[in-house]
Amino acid sequence: MSLIPFRTKRASGMEPGSLATLTDFRNEMNRLFEGFFSRPLEPMPAWFPPAFGGPWLPAIDVSETDTLVRVRCELPGVDPKDVDVSVSEDRLVIAGEKKSAAETTTDGMTHREAHYGSFSRAIPLPEAVDPAKVSAKYDKGVLIVEMTKSPSGTSRKIPVQAA
Amino acid sequence: MTTETVSPETAPAEKAARATFRPNVDITDFGTEVVIHADLPGARRDGIDVTFEDGVLSLAADVPPRDVPGTAIRREYGVGDYRRSFRLGEGFDASRITADYRDGVLTMKVPRLAAVLPRKISVTAG
Repeated sequence: MSLIPFRTKRASGMEPGSLATLTDFRNEMNRLFEGFFSRPLEPMPAWFPPAFGGPWLPAIDVSETDTLVRVRCELPGVDPKDVDVSVSEDRLVIAGEKKSAAETTTDGMTHREAHYGSFSRAIPLPEAVDPAKVSAKYDKGVLIVEMTKSPSGTSRKIPVQAA
Repeated sequence: MTTETVSPETAPAEKAARATFRPNVDITDFGTEVVIHADLPGARRDGIDVTFEDGVLSLAADVPPRDVPGTAIRREYGVGDYRRSFRLGEGFDASRITADYRDGVLTMKVPRLAAVLPRKISVTAG
């Protein structure tokens, strides 16, 4: 009688691979859940398909230079007249409405993936900006807002008071 | 004499380095035509390619790279080219397909051939 290994060579050879896949899968799920719950102000992630009933949060890009804060926002098919941009010292609010471009049909033969309806996003700014020096431009479905950092805000010293 | 040639391996590799995205679409069948609205934010009008071959409508759009001077603080969307194709099947008139790009949305209208549309035959009294 000889001992037969519990695992065949083939199975043990596959083990690390399948384990790695499982670990990847678990990490991915954890990442999704973390993202899901760590942003209470955004009830649904922006990538949630509209079929899931998530509100539309347009995707944004924020970048800064020494003097500027630039926010880009993907708003395909939105009439620039329907977009409201407002800036306070520390936050930018982009709100508006996208009217349905797809004509409605009587037979309901429509497949829909795009977002429609109203949207609103408040974006905290990395530094104080001058609300008077803001430009907003809409081009090819992308809104670009450029804000000039306020000189007082760039190097504001906050005195620490002794108790 | 030496000639510099781009090796076939490097060209696709460079292309693959750029992300490709599947654009969101709305498709409506009106009976006489199928209308497809595709979200292509950031795409250049000159860089959009629409082809119809063997019943498959293909859409490709080039997006210029993100030119962000300064530091990125937040990036929620990727920048890359758009690719998607749709199997529409037979009975469409390729010569009358129109594509219109406005505000980041491409609207393609694919009309059906008159031959496949239901025809109403009027009854004449003899």
